[in-house]
Amino acid sequence: MKRLPSLAWRLITHRTLLRLMGMGLGVVFIYASLDKIAHPDRFADVVREYDMLPLIFINGFALMMPAVEVVTGVTLVLGLWRRAAGLLASALCAAFLVAIAQADLRGLKVECGCFDVSGMSATQASWGLFVRDIGLLAASALVWRKG
Amino acid sequence: MRRRVLLSWAGGLARRFPHVIRAAALVGIAFICAALTNAANPLGIRWTPSPDGRIGLPRVFEKRLPEVNARQALEMLRSGKAIFVDSRDAKDYQDNHIPGALNIPMREWNTAWPKMRHRLPKTRTLLLYCYGGKCGLSTRMAKRLLELGYQKPVILEYGWKEWTEARYPTVSPLPPEKKER
Repeated sequence: MKRLPSLAWRLITHRTLLRLMGMGLGVVFIYASLDKIAHPDRFADVVREYDMLPLIFINGFALMMPAVEVVTGVTLVLGLWRRAAGLLASALCAAFLVAIAQADLRGLKVECGCFDVSGMSATQASWGLFVRDIGLLAASALVWRKG
Repeated sequence: MRRRVLLSWAGGLARRFPHVIRAAALVGIAFICAALTNAANPLGIRWTPSPDGRIGLPRVFEKRLPEVNARQALEMLRSGKAIFVDSRDAKDYQDNHIPGALNIPMREWNTAWPKMRHRLPKTRTLLLYCYGGKCGLSTRMAKRLLELGYQKPVILEYGWKEWTEARYPTVSPLPPEKKER
């Protein structure tokens, strides 16, 4: 009975699987950053709707966050500094989780701003997204701790 | 002496948590990337709000978004110089709005815009309003309109709040009993 969890754990933390996981995460992060980099003004609007940051920081955050996403993504895809990139990916996912949870709890009707910021009827922040982000956070944390 | 202690402490930290230092370096690289891409982007924004306090306003649009106060807006309404556009949610528009205003709920832009675009000539002055001075929906709509080639979007500075506080005319299309449902 004791062997089964350890076998599963070994499988999950297998070097090849971790590399593939890192590459997959990297592709997701790069894809997520593209529209935000092209439309920083619209992403700033989305960030504002979450109502978490003082107004003075919103533009800077809207410029920095997609850049961190793309640098993290490229680093993960190339397999360089994988643990550092995993740490950043975990921090980003944790921040997304907090943002979505507080929006849902406060009843804010906000767009997710996850991948598409050009369409105004993009995915809305919801508990479904929360679950998806938990999956991404788990994968990022594995790459960070075991990568 | 103190400097040496600090350096050795930092060195120890870097040896112990190299990935944390590398993550900080990646953030630094991201900052350079953000600065370069934003400078090259025609829709680039300032790192802080624009001089008139607007969030997420592309630099190219900064001088193309004039604001009017409620009194000026009333004159425009009376003279018919502008088409009024209400960017608030549909239910708030149905409750009450400025006479003659068209409703394009900014939060439902993709569905609302195609239905209304034929009523908005590109050369006319469009007076946009939302809930108040900081609601941001009219700025978002003005950005979209400028991108689409509209030449004269104008923003009612303190929006619906200023208009109603000045007790200027409003219309409520639904009778009170229907509003309650």
